[in-house]
Amino acid sequence: MLTFIIRRLLITIPMMLVISFLVYLGLELTPGDAVSHMIDPEAAARMTEEQFAEMREALGLNKTFLERYWIWLTNVVQGNFGHSLSGGVAISTIVLDRLPATLELSVFALVFSTLIGCVLGTLSALRRGSGTDNALTVVGMLGVSIPEFFFGLVAILIFALNLGWLPAGGRLLPGYETIFDRLPHIVLPGIVLSLMMTAGVMRYARSSMLDSLSREFIRTARAKGLPAWRINLIHGFRVALTPVVVLIGFRLPTLIGGSVIIEQVFQWPGIGSEFIGAVRGSDYPLVMMIALLSVFAVLMASLIVDVLTALIDPRVRLG
Amino acid sequence: MKQAALDKKFDKIRAMEEAGQLKPAKGSRALRKLMANRLAMVGLVIFSVILLMSIFAPLLTEHDPQKINLRAMLKPPSWDHLLGTDRTGRDVFARILYGGRISILVGLGSALMAAVIGVGIGCYTGYKGGWIDTVALRISEIFMSFPQIILVLLLVSIAGQSLMNLIIIFVLTGWAPMYRMARAKMLSLREEEYVQALRSFGVPTVKICYKHILPNALGPIMVNITLSTAMFILAEAGLSFLGLGVPLSVPTWGNILNVAQDLRVLQNNWWLWLPVGSVISLFVLSVNFIGDGLRDSTDPTLQG
Amino acid sequence: MTDLALSVKDLQTFFYTNNRCNKALNGVSFDIRKGKTLGIVGESGCGKSVTASSIMQLLPRLSRIEQGSITYHSETEGEIRIDQLERDGADMRRLRGDDIAMIFQDPMTALNPVYTVGFQIAEALQYHTDLSPKARGEKVVDLLKDMGIPMPEKRAKEFPHNYSGGMRQRAMIAMAMSCAPKILIADEPTTALDVTIQAQIFRLMNQLKEEHGTAIMLITHDMGVIAELADDVAVMYMGNIVEAGTVDEVLRTPRHPYTRALLDSVPVLGRGKDQDIKSIRGATPDPYERPPGCQFEPRCDYATAACQQPQSEDYITDTHRVMCHRYKEIFDNV
Repeated sequence: MLTFIIRRLLITIPMMLVISFLVYLGLELTPGDAVSHMIDPEAAARMTEEQFAEMREALGLNKTFLERYWIWLTNVVQGNFGHSLSGGVAISTIVLDRLPATLELSVFALVFSTLIGCVLGTLSALRRGSGTDNALTVVGMLGVSIPEFFFGLVAILIFALNLGWLPAGGRLLPGYETIFDRLPHIVLPGIVLSLMMTAGVMRYARSSMLDSLSREFIRTARAKGLPAWRINLIHGFRVALTPVVVLIGFRLPTLIGGSVIIEQVFQWPGIGSEFIGAVRGSDYPLVMMIALLSVFAVLMASLIVDVLTALIDPRVRLG
Repeated sequence: MKQAALDKKFDKIRAMEEAGQLKPAKGSRALRKLMANRLAMVGLVIFSVILLMSIFAPLLTEHDPQKINLRAMLKPPSWDHLLGTDRTGRDVFARILYGGRISILVGLGSALMAAVIGVGIGCYTGYKGGWIDTVALRISEIFMSFPQIILVLLLVSIAGQSLMNLIIIFVLTGWAPMYRMARAKMLSLREEEYVQALRSFGVPTVKICYKHILPNALGPIMVNITLSTAMFILAEAGLSFLGLGVPLSVPTWGNILNVAQDLRVLQNNWWLWLPVGSVISLFVLSVNFIGDGLRDSTDPTLQG
Repeated sequence: MTDLALSVKDLQTFFYTNNRCNKALNGVSFDIRKGKTLGIVGESGCGKSVTASSIMQLLPRLSRIEQGSITYHSETEGEIRIDQLERDGADMRRLRGDDIAMIFQDPMTALNPVYTVGFQIAEALQYHTDLSPKARGEKVVDLLKDMGIPMPEKRAKEFPHNYSGGMRQRAMIAMAMSCAPKILIADEPTTALDVTIQAQIFRLMNQLKEEHGTAIMLITHDMGVIAELADDVAVMYMGNIVEAGTVDEVLRTPRHPYTRALLDSVPVLGRGKDQDIKSIRGATPDPYERPPGCQFEPRCDYATAACQQPQSEDYITDTHRVMCHRYKEIFDNV
């Protein structure tokens, strides 16, 4: 298992390096010099001309591109992500500030879509051909066709504006701190974000379950006289799980990307809405850094999913 | 089906069989195909209707989608304006029809171009193997590590918003999955015997690749194109909704939805956003139906 | 007390796939004697596996037992009519694995790849015995040892893909024998294995028969296997038993042209390379377009017009029966 993880890490690190290189290239290509944003504007305001020029020199202003890249990279690895062009706040501060909100939303959506998708997909498979199955299939098709933000708008209209059951946006009102206060706020954006993923997981779980139930070892389990629930769950579902987990890992980038739009629709104060603001304001350092971090998140998440797959499926551990 | 119902069905079948009334199983495989095709047929019809309505927009409405009319702002649907007017008095129905042209162009166009590039590269490098294959594979992995929206927005922030830019950016971010699929198919077909035969006859690589192997991989490629189209239409809608896709001066389905960011519009002016959103959903649904039908009919492992 | 373990009478099993009716078993009768091996032999598609599935009530959803009886002669509960039990009801599930067990052709696909072998064997024990988890673990190791698997404690914790082909089949047999069943159904147990492994498995099965008094129903397409292992044999063709009797009777004095043909088509080791091996001409008919009378008639060298009439069984001796219109004339000189 350990060798498996190490091997995966060895592949991931060069990829991160290449991507960081490309991101830095993007930084260089955009207007403005590529080093000034690394200096804290508050500190810069107190510097003299020479000191400022010195700092820029140290950051590689007049050195070669590669040297600048290296200096930038070492800075990033140590946590200095540069500063936002609008307001001069350290990007690392912005990220840390907004990260919990996005994590909350993404994790909610991931858990929701996995659970509901697997349950409904399995149900569909076990009642193949029935009314339930057909209805769920239609729902699944709709789920992957309706734009998530449109679904969000409709949801806001019905549940927030008309019925008033749930808040229309925002993460929490000042003064409300407990998890029960926060829960109503996360329900709508979380479920909307997971729409496409849930539909995808449901369809995939259904076909994976049907495939698993048609295998020979199910016959063996029946021949042993095991009860139906055990055959379907412990034998059928357990084997059907692996491809579904692989699929979820595959779709993680889409989930992370989806939160960008949903955060905007629901005024959710996460990194996604911050990113949109940065793009609109041409805040290149912020745009690049968030992009870089999102790739990092994707790669890390893929690694975790791969490890999970190896854990649940002994056949994977060898390969 | 419950056991009792099954039993009755069986009794009926047995009686018919013994009376010699049942013909060979020609019915069933075709029946299955037809079922899958029924949804695909519905999808095709819906797709065509929406496409044709967009193309023949001038015939269906006399309104100019860009014409501002400050005396008829935010009017609900009426005989004159089938879907009402928006904030600057523009006819919504006309905007949806004309907007469809751009949205479908972006969606379908990007999917086709991404397919051409992705499949083109995938076939060649997949067939040749070696370092060029590894390089292409790594490059595709890099592209696929970015969440698509983030990569698109990144490129938009660098390159600026325009229709052409968006299509190029979509192709850049979307070629990688097509490439991977084409490459996987190529790897499996490459070992087929007829390929060995062609090679021993000295047929040049390019010809083997594109003339002989590619036609066999056409099934999954077509399926992927339909799915990519759906994905790009949704992506364009999302980006334009945020105002970061096609410039707001050009009507697209997503651009029309842009106003729905305002909660008051959401509640009070349903005609501004509900019809457009429904059209998008319907169109993407039809594309998905077609894609599913294609997948069912081109999958050789599906038995009747 | 009867010396029979299982009696099947006039069993008819029909399949209803593709909205058609396929009479897979069209009136099959046989007995399995206690502690003896019954071999069922025939070509692919003749209904051998369907027979096994019917007995275990493991038929697919679109099929059912139409008519006939399957009677299990239980030592503790008397006569149990399996065909009348609910397909996956508690009674049937009690019988499965405990009284009647089954092993399948390909052990690689028949075992669940994500659970250890020990887990899968212990499952049967869990549902049919009252052993504690610890006792179950010990029994699993004992079973693996009895089946001749070395280092059983280590092996119990391994997965099916860590086992070799022969070992996997032994593990399957261990799983089937775990609750000491009275009847073991073996559906082509060695077809997927090397010939040398085949011999080992057969030796093992004989051993089990001796030690536990288990009746075995052995399904195969290989006449050589029948000669090796079976006490009684039934030859099947297109859903009927065309000839049945003791192994001695049927193999030495076959009375049905099909049995004859099967025996003639097997090369015998040691007889040299110029053996007169005859393949059976023609092919098995479409199950939906069957010949009116004898099913073998289109391919039979001895067929006459009379063979198109419906058939019945005739007893040559107490134990030897055959379903052929002309058996008396054909083999009179044997």
